[in-house]
Amino acid sequence: MKLLTCPMNGPRNIDEFQSFGPVRARPDPNETADREWSRHLFRAENRKGIVVEWWRHVPSNYFFLAERDLVSNEIIRTFDASEQRDRA
Amino acid sequence: MAAGTATRVYPFMPGGAADGTKLISGAVALGDLTDKPRFGLKGGGSAAWFATQGIPLPAVNRIGDHRGMRVLRLGNEDILLLAEDAGEKLADVKNTWHAAAAPKGYSSWREEGWAWMRLSGPRLAEAMSSLCALDLRPQKFGADDIAQTRVGHIEAVTFRSPAGFDILFDITASAYFARAVAAVAGHADQHRG
Repeated sequence: MKLLTCPMNGPRNIDEFQSFGPVRARPDPNETADREWSRHLFRAENRKGIVVEWWRHVPSNYFFLAERDLVSNEIIRTFDASEQRDRA
Repeated sequence: MAAGTATRVYPFMPGGAADGTKLISGAVALGDLTDKPRFGLKGGGSAAWFATQGIPLPAVNRIGDHRGMRVLRLGNEDILLLAEDAGEKLADVKNTWHAAAAPKGYSSWREEGWAWMRLSGPRLAEAMSSLCALDLRPQKFGADDIAQTRVGHIEAVTFRSPAGFDILFDITASAYFARAVAAVAGHADQHRG
């Protein structure tokens, strides 16, 4: 069984979670050309490295962030979204 | 039914969606508390509103007590009051909330959206270990702990009650859940001979 540690509920079967994809900067609608918009909407990044992603613990409907290694699929850490906001 | 006397029909009642589905009893027993009073608030302002009412809130995933009601903290701003034997006190809280001005969170309609069932019996621990992957032994999971997880393969909130484990889940899964528990209990019986 693969486990993921929810910052609110603790370690759980990964089956209890849903992935919501990487955290991405939202383009400024007044500054962004159609080409960049279309790239933002329809193309997914496919790189190596560490990504910060949104995840949801389904039974508690709790959204949080996880750092994941895209090569090894290892979850490096999980944390509450307020932590990212505080750092920004 | 006469106008103005709206009575809720819960799943296991005559005419309910799970009418005719058997609730097992014996070594593993399943009881239905879905018609018992409860009231949940969610969203910004919920916790602050409860605080103004002098209702002490426990930490997230813990249970507190207030005037005979159990206070379940399911999230920072997701709180549920269960009033198995304190319906009047719960009604007071509900009426005060309806009359209050915003911000006060919003009703999460747990009295309509969630089924409330109680699992008990001498083979409770065995049945629960087949229904839920978490370690729910008393030394790991205390009387005031809440687990938001899967029970019988569906999303559920579970915690201890004096008789056993209480389980809250989507009310539309009531018949499924009763059958899942019966299957698990039957399986345990076969293997114990």
